[in-house]
Amino acid sequence: MNQRENFFAMLEGKKPEFIPNIMELYKICVFGADRADQPLIGGLDVFGVNWIVTKEGEMPEPNKFLFEDIADWKDYVKFPDVDSLGIEEAAKIELADVNRDEIIVNVYSPTGLFERLAAFMGFENTLCSLVEDPDSCREFFEAFANYKIACLNRFIDAYQPDVITYLDDLATANGLFMSPAVYRSVIKPAHQRIVEAVTSRGVIFCQHTCGKCEKIIEDYVEMGAKIWSSAQISNDLEGIMDKYHGQLLVEGGWDSSGPASYIGASTEEVVAESIRCAKQYGKNGNFILFPTLLNENGNSLFVGDSRLGPMIEAWHGVEKL
Amino acid sequence: MSKMNEVKELVEAGKSKKVGAAVQEALDAGSQPAEILQAMVDSMSVVGEKFSSGEIFVPEMLIAAKAMSKGVDVLRPLMAGDNTASLGTCVIGTVAGDLHDIGKNLVSMMIESAGFTMVDLGVDVPAENFVKAAKENDNVTLIACSGLLTTTMPALKEAVETIKASGLSGCKVIVGGAPVTPEFAAEIGADGYAADAGSAAVKAKELVK
Repeated sequence: MNQRENFFAMLEGKKPEFIPNIMELYKICVFGADRADQPLIGGLDVFGVNWIVTKEGEMPEPNKFLFEDIADWKDYVKFPDVDSLGIEEAAKIELADVNRDEIIVNVYSPTGLFERLAAFMGFENTLCSLVEDPDSCREFFEAFANYKIACLNRFIDAYQPDVITYLDDLATANGLFMSPAVYRSVIKPAHQRIVEAVTSRGVIFCQHTCGKCEKIIEDYVEMGAKIWSSAQISNDLEGIMDKYHGQLLVEGGWDSSGPASYIGASTEEVVAESIRCAKQYGKNGNFILFPTLLNENGNSLFVGDSRLGPMIEAWHGVEKL
Repeated sequence: MSKMNEVKELVEAGKSKKVGAAVQEALDAGSQPAEILQAMVDSMSVVGEKFSSGEIFVPEMLIAAKAMSKGVDVLRPLMAGDNTASLGTCVIGTVAGDLHDIGKNLVSMMIESAGFTMVDLGVDVPAENFVKAAKENDNVTLIACSGLLTTTMPALKEAVETIKASGLSGCKVIVGGAPVTPEFAAEIGADGYAADAGSAAVKAKELVK
C-alpha cells in the first residue's frame, strides 16, 4: 500500500500496513488560509487583526483588540468578499507538484470560531462573553461560520482536497477553556454547520484542538469529524482510540511539553519519542504520528531540522503493523 | 442571609453588576472594609479550589475575579494606607521570547484576589526587568514568571537565576506554564510552582507567610 491506500484503509477501520506520519502522509496546504484567515508571515489579516510570528506559529498581537464588548461586534467586523481573496491562485501555486495518487491533500483552515473571536477581543473578553452574553456570541459565531463555510467551499472547489483540517484550540493543558455545556450551547451549533459544510461535499473533516479536550471528543465524532489532531498526551489517547476505533483517527501522540520538544533535544531523544509513540499508540491501526519538534528557528516541520532525517529513518523501522 | 454572605455569594457567582451595591450595604450595616475584603478573598479561594478541581472553568473564574474587583473599587477609598490585609506586591510577567498572556493574566487575577498588589510587566519580559521592577516597587514579596512554550523554558531558567543572583531579599519566586513541572521548577531554583491559576494563589500565600 502507498500512503494514500494505507490512509483510506485506516479510515475504513481496516488494518493498515503501517503507521503513517504527517510528514510523509500529507501535502499540507496553507496558502488559502494565508489569504482567508491569517497571513503566514504575519501582519494584518483580512479583518484588520495584526498577527505576530513566533517560534511556534502565529498569534494576534497581544493586548490589541478590535472590540472589547461582544455586543458591539457588528460595528467592527466587516466580512471580506470571498471572491477577492485569490484562493484559486493560491491553490494553483500550492498544488503544482502534488501526486494525488500517492498522498493525501490536506488543506488547513486555521482560526476557527473561538480563536477568531479571541483574535478580535482577546481571550479574557471572549471567555467572559461566553457566559455573560452567550446570545451575542452565538450571533457572532453564526455569522463567522457563514464566512468560514464560504471560504471552505472555495477551498474545496480550488484544491479538491481529501481532508480539510479545521483548527480551533478550545483547551489548555489542563482542560477545556469553557465547560462542555457552554461549548455545546454557544459554539457547537455553528461548529456543526462548518463540519457539515465540509462532509456534505465528500471531504474528510479533521478537527485540530490542542490541549486536554477529551470531554468533547464525543461531540467531534458525533458531528462527523474523522480525524482529531494534534492529540496531545494530556488526554487518554489509548482510551479514545479504543472507544472510537473505525470512527476516528487520532493524529498526534507526541509529548509536546516533554524533553523531546525542548530546544536542544538530542537526535536520540527525538528518535526515542517517535518510537514510544509507535509502540504505545500505533498498534490499534488508527494512529497518525504528529511530532512537535522545535528548534531555534521555529517548528521543524516548516523550517527544517537535521534531526528529522534520522527520526523518519527510525520511524520506518517501527511503523510496520 | 447576612450582607457579608451575600457579598461572598455574589463574588463566587461572578455577579459584577450586583457586588458593588452589596458591598456598600455591608458597609452600611456596620461591617469593616478589611472584613469585607477578607470575605471576598475567601470567596476567591473557593473559586480557585473549584477551578483546580475542574468543577468550574476559566470563564467562571474570570467573572468571579471581575466581580471581586468591582467590590474592591467600593472599598479602595476607605482602605487607603491600610495595608493590614495586603500580602505585599507581586511582580508578574511572561518571560523573554514568549508572547502568551492568558495564563499569566489568569494567575495575576487570582493572586491579586488573594490579597496581593500586582505589578504586571506584560509579555516577553527580559530577566533583568523582573529585578528592576522588584527594586522599583514597594514591598515586593513575590515574583511570578510564566512561560507557555518549551522553547522559552531556558528563558524561564534565566529569569529565576537572574532574580536569585540579584541579591533581592525577602522576595520569593514562583513559576508556571504548560511545559513547567515541579521538577523543572526545583531544578532552576524557583521557590514555588503551581499547575494552574487556582493553585498559584494558594502557593503564593503559602510562600509569603
